[in-house]
Order: sequence, then structure tokens, then C-alpha cells
Amino acid sequence: MITSIAADRGIHERVRELIYRSCLHLDEGDFEGWLGLCAPEFRYTITAYSPEIRKEMTWLDHDRDGMDGLFKMLPKHNSDHTPLTRHASVYLIEFDEAGSEASVLTSVVVYRTQLDGGSTDLFAVGKYFDTVSLEGETPLLAARNVRLDTREFGIGSHMPL
Amino acid sequence: MGRTANEWGQKPPLPETHYVDSLVYTDEEIFEEEKRRIFAKTWMLACHESELPEPNDYRTYHHPAGANLIVVRGEDDEVRSFYNVCPHRGNTVLYSPSGNAKRMTCIFHAWSFDYLGNCVGLPREKAGYCSGDDCGITRADLGLRGVRTQVGYGGFVYVNLDDDCGPLEDHIGAALDTIIEQIDTEPLEVFSYHRAVVDTNYKLWHDTNSEFYHDYLHVHNRLTSMKQEGYFERKMIPFPNGHAEVGSQEVHYEAYEGGKGRADAGFPGVEGNPWSLIDLFPGYSYNLRASVLRVDSQIPLGPNKTIVEYRSLGLKSDNEEQRRQRVKDNLVIWGPFGRNLHEDLLAVHGQGRAIPNGSRYVLHGREEDSTIHDEVGMRHFYAEWSKHMGRLASDPTKKSETGEPARV
Repeated sequence: MITSIAADRGIHERVRELIYRSCLHLDEGDFEGWLGLCAPEFRYTITAYSPEIRKEMTWLDHDRDGMDGLFKMLPKHNSDHTPLTRHASVYLIEFDEAGSEASVLTSVVVYRTQLDGGSTDLFAVGKYFDTVSLEGETPLLAARNVRLDTREFGIGSHMPL
Repeated sequence: MGRTANEWGQKPPLPETHYVDSLVYTDEEIFEEEKRRIFAKTWMLACHESELPEPNDYRTYHHPAGANLIVVRGEDDEVRSFYNVCPHRGNTVLYSPSGNAKRMTCIFHAWSFDYLGNCVGLPREKAGYCSGDDCGITRADLGLRGVRTQVGYGGFVYVNLDDDCGPLEDHIGAALDTIIEQIDTEPLEVFSYHRAVVDTNYKLWHDTNSEFYHDYLHVHNRLTSMKQEGYFERKMIPFPNGHAEVGSQEVHYEAYEGGKGRADAGFPGVEGNPWSLIDLFPGYSYNLRASVLRVDSQIPLGPNKTIVEYRSLGLKSDNEEQRRQRVKDNLVIWGPFGRNLHEDLLAVHGQGRAIPNGSRYVLHGREEDSTIHDEVGMRHFYAEWSKHMGRLASDPTKKSETGEPARV
């Protein structure tokens, strides 16, 4: 059965736009803009499965305030400031019965472009597993799990993906 | 004013123990010699026993001397290691990094081996190798190549390719005594593993772990440690065989944005938020920050390329809440997205770019009564390195006459 909200193509578009805007804000280093897409209860995690130790692993885990703190501290940290660029494709959008929440599955590929010379390398592949709140005027991210296939990142990064 | 080429090439006005020639980080011949003289003859950390929880569980390990190994827990619970090479046609026996195999079977011709390394399956054996009852070669001649293996010091699996090597205890000595209660009171478990492949020399990563002067690199460490009482009293303590300990200090995690103390999860014998780091020759380290033990181990691939493996451990007996807390403590500064690890890797990556392209000497010359910014840890490492290599690190083109370590 298709719920009434699922039949509303407009909400599909607004959810897709939320996902894509979240990528654009991070690509541009617009952290305030990114946080503006997050609901107060937002939780962000980066996880992966290790075939070496045969365990689930968590590599980043913050609530909204934690992400705000992480962004504020970024200028005080040393980094090569290599920009990351996200390419996302929304695969699935599923709505709960009440129409208050959507579960969104997005394939994401992250590239790293060297400042010196501008060569671009693949940094990571994975998926976003997002929970989107539909209770306000606009859809907001209530949770994002960045589920990574890639587990080797060279020198790593301070940036969320 | 910058120095001329001639001036740049001059030896530093320091004792020869207080600098190294950049060749030790770049020279292919020296690297190949390190594989033979150091890695092939020294105990290396292959994995942790919690990665092999059940009988017939295995892990594969790329040994720095070049051999691929299988580490397997036997049905008798003993952990053993073998070359991951089929004695028949030299194929890789096990491809996955981990798994469970009652019989380790080579996919090529289905030869199989048990946890003792015995050849226990050989298709059409008699047809191929026997004339009647006269067999020129038997399964007893076709076992896997075994490798010396010991489990200890927090449940880590150490391997040594040298059949005639001394026991692991002789190599470690007393270097881990300061944290032995924490790591050996009850079983540990790895909860996070990742590796970084970096264009740098393995010794540069080990150097970074061996000196804390680079705390200036980390805003987290400046706030939580360097600005706190007791930091400049921390002592660097050298141990025999090239190991070194960095003395502990109470860390004030709350001084960093969003940080909080780690005492809740803790380790046996840990009070408050101490931080101990022990570097073990030739390229691994134990780093205990109250609730999480991080162990680095290196797999050098070339003079300017290394794999650094990172394992983070808690207690096997952790309840859900304790484990959750350890995971959160771990990811703040460690892990591929941690605040400190990226900075450390950035620094050694920068050295890997610069040293082969213009560096002549690298200085290890700070002396501060063996306190935290004294570079005695690195000097101690290179004294041991010189002993193994028969070369002075300050002038590796000359062989040392005695083979004895240079004075630190």
C-alpha cells in the first residue's frame, strides 16, 4: 500500500534536495548551512565493518552539538586542507506509516583533490543511511550514518563525509 | 639567510648520536638490509588473540620481511603461525584476512593443511608420488613452513621468522612493566582496526611516537596535556633492545571542546586519566589513554612506503555501556577521522615528501634531562638500529666496526 505521503511526489523531491544540499554544504565548507539541515535530535555516525577483526566499528559519533563543536575546532587543527567532493545518488526513499519520517538510502562517493596541482583521487565509497524528519515545514536530517566500504584513507581527514 | 649547498651538506655540530643521515630513510639497499637484519630476526606483532576467538580461526599477516603468514588458533587452543604458501606450486593458501578453516585448503590443487601445519589432503597422492608402496615423497615432507609464535603482553600474537631466535620475553624485557597490570589482568579485545598506507619511512612513524616535542602539532594535546601540571616532568625512559617509555601524566580531556574524562570505563589498575606510551623496537607501540589501548604496528613496504596498522582495545568483559564509552573515547583523537591521527599522518607524509628530495640530516639533538621534549627516545632507537645494521645512523655508508650500539 502506498501511503498518502509516499504518493506525494513533491515530498520525494524535497527529501532528495535535502540530501544533495547536505553534500553541497560540506563540499563548500559551509558548516552552518549543513547544521541548518539537521534537526535538534540529529546524530551523525561514520561506521564500517572490518573483515580483519570481524566486527562493526564506529569512527565518528556526534550529536548536533558535537558536530557544531567539531566544526568550530577545525581552524585550530593542522590539516592539509585538501578539499573533499561528494557525489551522491539517492537510491531509495521510504516513509513511515504516520508520514512523519523518511528513511533514505544514498550511494556516496567522495573524491579528494590536491591543492598542489589539482589531481583528484578517490577517497571513499559508501552509503548514507539517513533518517529524515518530516514534521516541520521542511525536511530535516534526524540521523545520518555514513556506512563506509572504504577502510583505508591514507593520511585520513578531519572532515565528516 | 639560507645556507649554501656546501653548508647544507655539512654534518651538524652535534655528537654523531644526535642526528641521522637522511639516507637511513631513503636508501633502497639499507631498506633491503633492514628486512634481512632486523625484521627477519626480531619479534613482530602480527595480530591480537581476540581476532582468533574460536578454534580454527585464522588471520593473515603480511610480515615486514616479505613473507605472507597465516596465524591460526588450533583445536588445542594454541596459536601457531605458518607461511601462507602452498608447498606444492607456491600459491597463496588463504586469501581472506580472517576466517575459520578446519582444513586450510589451497584452491589451486586442493592440497589441505590442519592447524598444526600438517598436509592432510593431497588429491591422487599415490598416483602422483608412489610406485606401489614406494613413495618418493610423503605428506610428512609436505607440511607448511612453521614460524615461531608467542602470545603475550596483552594477548598479542608475536611472530619471529628466525627459528633460532630467543624468547619474546628476552626481546621485550621490562619495557612494558609499567602497564602490565592494565593489559594482562584480564583478556583484552580489539574493537577497532584500520590501516594507513603512507608514503614515508617506517622509522619516521616510530620516531613520531618516540618524541613528544611534536605535541605542538596537536591542539588537543596542547590543551589537555602541555598546558597542564606535570607535563614537563614526564620522563622518557629507555629500555634495553631499543624500547622506550614515555612516563605518564594526568590528562585533562575536558580542556578540549566537548571533551570529558575517561575514568568511567577505565582499565584494571587505572585511576583517573593517565596516559602511557611505550615504543618497542623496531616498529610497534602500546599507547594507553585510560580507557583505550591503541597499539600501532608497522609493515614497511619500501624505503618510502609503510603500512601502519592501528588497533584499539578494551576489555573482553566490557558491558554494552563500557564498550560504547571506549568507542567514543577512541574516536575523538584516534581512528581515521580522529583529531590527532590525521595530524600525525600528515606530518610523516610531509617528511616522506621532503626527506627524499633535499634533506641531508635529521636532528635528534634535544637534551632536557630525559624529560618529555628530550629526543633521547629516538637516539635510543637508532643506537639499537646501528647495532643490528652494523652501520652508524649518522653515517650509514660506513659500517660500524664493533657492531655495538653507539652511546646515547
